[in-house]
Amino acid sequence: MEVTLFIHAADDAFRILEKAKERAVGLLDTATKLTSETRWMEEKKVHAILKGAQETKSGFQNFVATFLMLFGFWALLSGKFDAFHLFLGVVCSLIIAYLSYDLLFANVRVGDVRIIVQRFIGYIPWLIREIVMSNFHVAYLALSPKMPIDPKVITFRTKLESDISWVTLANSITLTPGTITMDIEGREFMVHALDGKVADDLDTGEMEDRVAHIFMEADHIYIQDVLDVSRVFAKLKRGM
Amino acid sequence: MIISSDDIIIKTIARIFVPFIQLFALYVIMHGHYSPGGGFQGGVILGASLVLLLITHGYEEMRRRVPEGAVILLGSLGLLIYSGIGLTCLLLGGNYLDYSQLSVILHVDPAHARAMGILGIELGVAFAVMAAVCSIFFDISTGGILPEDEK
Repeated sequence: MEVTLFIHAADDAFRILEKAKERAVGLLDTATKLTSETRWMEEKKVHAILKGAQETKSGFQNFVATFLMLFGFWALLSGKFDAFHLFLGVVCSLIIAYLSYDLLFANVRVGDVRIIVQRFIGYIPWLIREIVMSNFHVAYLALSPKMPIDPKVITFRTKLESDISWVTLANSITLTPGTITMDIEGREFMVHALDGKVADDLDTGEMEDRVAHIFMEADHIYIQDVLDVSRVFAKLKRGM
Repeated sequence: MIISSDDIIIKTIARIFVPFIQLFALYVIMHGHYSPGGGFQGGVILGASLVLLLITHGYEEMRRRVPEGAVILLGSLGLLIYSGIGLTCLLLGGNYLDYSQLSVILHVDPAHARAMGILGIELGVAFAVMAAVCSIFFDISTGGILPEDEK
């Protein structure tokens, strides 16, 4: 009698344990499912926020930057700083900035504008020095009795990525005496050079490197990008 | 029909210069009563900036930015501003375009009213001239062939 009771009790206990185990497994399953789902949702959310932040930021930043540049240009032109003319300037700059904020900074990377301007200003003295040096060389070529010119067209493939940097490089080449950019096709530059020396100067690629440095292209790491992303992540963390 | 230029230098330089040309045009319009310039000159510069955009970026891109309907509307608006100010002066008891009569509406002394009035007239002229330049160039650039959605 007692033995059978004991066996029954053991059976019951076993069944309860079994049920508990099943339940635990089920709970664990749902838990893992939930975590994976939430993680997926979170990733999606982070992605959406990052993308949206990037878009709104670039649009609004471009608008503000365009407005500030245009208003500075207006102040330079107008030279009248009474309230009425400044008000007109603000209104006109706002209208033009609204109409063409996507023109001025069409392909500039987000958040880089200040650094680009800084580096561009640093690039100008080097360019002027280069222009003066080439001037002397071309003057020597033109004035020497034999006139040892050796005109040639060189083509090279650039490592630069955006249209603004191509244009900066092309116009720098054209500004330097002795070389003229004839065409850009795809990423191929066609440059007319007056003699071997100026062509060799171009082939060293120093100008291209400097332009790449201004626009943070080719083998430069985008530090500003990392900073932008970290700010967005900090906001996310605080929100959760 | 004029299509987008394939010269990257021309395209980029035009893209960067167009906002400044437009602002210069507005400067010429707004300072017409202080310095050389005025509605007609500013309007032509404004129209020229849009023509530059059309030549470099093509007809389709231009039409996306500035629809032809808006251009014609702007031209009519310019005419309305001009004739409206003139007729307001007439209704207030002065001659046509006698701005000093506007001092009653604007609540300023007649000298200021003249300045304001000429500014309004210049805005109207600028709108009309810009619209005319743009409209003519739109018609030339299509070569008489209407795009699909306007037939």
